[in-house]
Amino acid sequence: MMRLAIFYLTLVLLLTITAPALTTVPLKAQASPVTFTVGWGAAPMDTLNPTAVTLYDGGAYVVMHAIYDTLVMADVNGNPIPGLAQSWSYSNSTTIIFNLVHNATWHDGQPFAADDVVYTVNTYLAHSELPIMRLYVENVKSITAVDPYTVQINLINADATFIGELLPAMYIIPKHIWQDISNFTSYTNSNPVGTGPFKFVSWGGVNTYVQLVANTNYFLGPPHIDQLVIRYFTSYNAMALAVQSGEIDYAGPLFPPSIVPTLTSATGIEVVTRPDQRYYYFCFNGYPQGSGNPTLRDVRVRLALSHAINNTELAQVTWAGYATPQNTVMPLTFANWVNPNIKAYDFNLNEAAQMLDSAGYKVGSDGIRVSPNGVKLSYKLEVPSDYAEEYRAAQVIANWWKQIGVEATPQIVDTGTLGDEVVSWKHDTFIWVWSVGEIIGPDYFLSMFRSTEAQPAPNGGLSDSGFNNSMYDQLYVAQEQATDPAQRQTIIWQMEQILHDNAVYVPLYDPLAVQAFRSDKFTGLPSGSLPPLNQYASNNLFLSITPISTPVQTTQTTTSVSTTAQPAPTGMSTETIVGVVAVIIIIIVAAAALSRRRKGEPTKAQ
Amino acid sequence: MANVGYIVRKLSGLIVTTFFVLTFNFYLFRVLPGNPFRLLFRGAGLSADAVRSLNAQFGLDEPLWVQYIIYLKNTVSGNFGLSFQTRAPVIGLIVPALINTAILLSAASVISIVAGILIGMLAAWRRGSKFDVSASATTLVLYSMPTFWLGLVLMFVGVIYFALPVAGMRSFTGISGIFGQLQDLARHMVLPLLTLVLGLTGQYVLVMKGALLDVFTEDFMVTARAKGISNRKLLWDHGFRNAVLPMVALVALNLGLSIGGAVQTETVFSWPGMGLLIYRAILARDYPVLQGAFLVVTVTVIVANFVADMLYPLLDPRVTEQ
Repeated sequence: MMRLAIFYLTLVLLLTITAPALTTVPLKAQASPVTFTVGWGAAPMDTLNPTAVTLYDGGAYVVMHAIYDTLVMADVNGNPIPGLAQSWSYSNSTTIIFNLVHNATWHDGQPFAADDVVYTVNTYLAHSELPIMRLYVENVKSITAVDPYTVQINLINADATFIGELLPAMYIIPKHIWQDISNFTSYTNSNPVGTGPFKFVSWGGVNTYVQLVANTNYFLGPPHIDQLVIRYFTSYNAMALAVQSGEIDYAGPLFPPSIVPTLTSATGIEVVTRPDQRYYYFCFNGYPQGSGNPTLRDVRVRLALSHAINNTELAQVTWAGYATPQNTVMPLTFANWVNPNIKAYDFNLNEAAQMLDSAGYKVGSDGIRVSPNGVKLSYKLEVPSDYAEEYRAAQVIANWWKQIGVEATPQIVDTGTLGDEVVSWKHDTFIWVWSVGEIIGPDYFLSMFRSTEAQPAPNGGLSDSGFNNSMYDQLYVAQEQATDPAQRQTIIWQMEQILHDNAVYVPLYDPLAVQAFRSDKFTGLPSGSLPPLNQYASNNLFLSITPISTPVQTTQTTTSVSTTAQPAPTGMSTETIVGVVAVIIIIIVAAAALSRRRKGEPTKAQ
Repeated sequence: MANVGYIVRKLSGLIVTTFFVLTFNFYLFRVLPGNPFRLLFRGAGLSADAVRSLNAQFGLDEPLWVQYIIYLKNTVSGNFGLSFQTRAPVIGLIVPALINTAILLSAASVISIVAGILIGMLAAWRRGSKFDVSASATTLVLYSMPTFWLGLVLMFVGVIYFALPVAGMRSFTGISGIFGQLQDLARHMVLPLLTLVLGLTGQYVLVMKGALLDVFTEDFMVTARAKGISNRKLLWDHGFRNAVLPMVALVALNLGLSIGGAVQTETVFSWPGMGLLIYRAILARDYPVLQGAFLVVTVTVIVANFVADMLYPLLDPRVTEQ
């Protein structure tokens, strides 16, 4: 009797909890307005304040660019095109005149004018607690408004990077709203007002979602969608399901390769791949005053070891084909800055062994080579814990080196610990990644090889190789100031050659950015070398995306989601299904076996 | 009623433990390797100067004991500092996350405690029966499953076959009215709730069953049976009342810890609670957020245990006697 009561009680409890949830509710009313829902699975959105975004707010950049504009914007290839500045010209190498558009308005209706630009730049100049923003105006001496729609910016030094790289990231903020703010970084900016293609509606707080509505008065023409929603996911598995079930229309920015089969097998979904703006590399600690293995300071050793690393094979091993081998320190997205004459080091173990022999590093009695001074060629090969998938590449490298008498010990190390080691120059070799942030240009990827970045501990700069070459340093300054793109390209290509000849790094590969898109509901995907959904140029996607206007299609999605999701059961891998079945079998078998054993014993407490 | 001495002892224990936790909390994060700013800005080409100024701004270049005094003063006055990532007050990040976690975990706790008690009691009463064996086996298997995997499987089944939302706490198209919002929240909660309940119930079942079996071996149970007391009274008034003490301890501990959020569940379902906050803060080495979050978790555990300590004398008057 009591058993029955308990059973029914539990049943009623469960039903009352789940009943409201299981009644079907139409997921989306797609008829009107048209909403484009984007899923973002990388760095989250932490703030609505454009002056406070940091690199950990990658998700915030997308939103900021939708709400705010910049003087210069980036096109689908990352090249500068007019934004709030419709044209610009150099009066001399350090003075630039910007002609602003006349028809831009702030979301609250106020007209945009030169005052806002002057205010923005002066604000960034005056506030050193805005580290990222300040970076952009480091080279600015002053700014003045020539007339209501023209500004003049005076630079300190001639700078080739200013237009193309810095301006696409410097959000112009409205003077009439911000002039009363005293503490910039803690200002919540809960109702952002910009000139951008989308107006802010609401957000769910940190790391949830942002809801935006189209700005019909946008000076470049209104978007083709009515609403833009950006949702932040912490799991790519969840996002893959969400795009399959129609809950989101676009997902990115970087799906791991393991989820790609799920996406490609589903109908209605187009998988988009472009090279990402980052690359993985193998680093040698060549710092002369460091405490790593001193044999790495010998360029002959580094060159020999470079011939014992096959980056094409490693790209396959670690990324299953979803990475492109890279031979210079320039990510492949920057097509025109990559020196095409630099080929990968010839992968040849015999040649590598010979090079070490002729340099005087003979094989010792234990099979490991020894330097003339008696130092073994035995190295730590560290992999930061944030990129633990590179451990496989490390193991493969260690195996190759073993065949030429060099010992490498792969180990995964906490990223923070590795960072500390690098600053104190205690490392030998490691695999890590350089990834661009807000600034889109070649500069950053060349900057860590300057001698000024190789500081003795504990100062630390960006350098992890300890490279020190005065020619390289001079060329770096030259390319910074070379406003003629052809000349700049020559210089940059020369710099890459120097790095290659000195085997400073062994560049490994550039992973593909894999994104998913509901091509059955929308069209207008931008072409170009940048991934459509990226940190600073996603507006190209948001402005070109257009709904495929067949009403039949939209009602289908609202009434039965399972129909659209029909092909998805191939999704979760068969291993998962096998696992579930196995678990159920185990439970049944265990229950049967144990109950049979106990049949003879008294069951009730007497 | 419990005597004053007992209460005072427990209260002073609470204060001492809290102070120790504050100190340990501070020290723990200072001992971690890796300068948070260097890692935060590795991709932004931040100059050494900028890193130095940030260190100064957050007082990271002061001697350790100076930082400790500042930390104590700030914590006591409710100032948990500014997040490294957003440079906004940590409190502003913790409070909404706490609310979201509380919504999810209070529901999960209540369901799993009630279910755990009922199943555990039935399993103990019918020890050795098919019900006992299958219930114990099932809950144990579910309890030892990796939460992440369980969540993903449930998500797959729920989204494809039951049209439940994939992740997050709410939809934002087509929802209107308070009832609509509550229904929307419920729909978003089903999958993470199920994941948590399936995982949590196991431990309550086992503890309840074990405690009850233990009580069944006592002499007074035999006596009560001999006196002719009905099964129901035997189970509830004699068995349950004596077995509930270890359960209260476990419940108090779990309720306190659950404020830390179920990190795996929240990550799978993008539920913006404490677990997710802590996870992201760890990746970014955001010390102030971590300190604030860990402090909230430990203080909640301490308080929950104190409440449990206050409950024991009510359940069993023998507890306050030395």
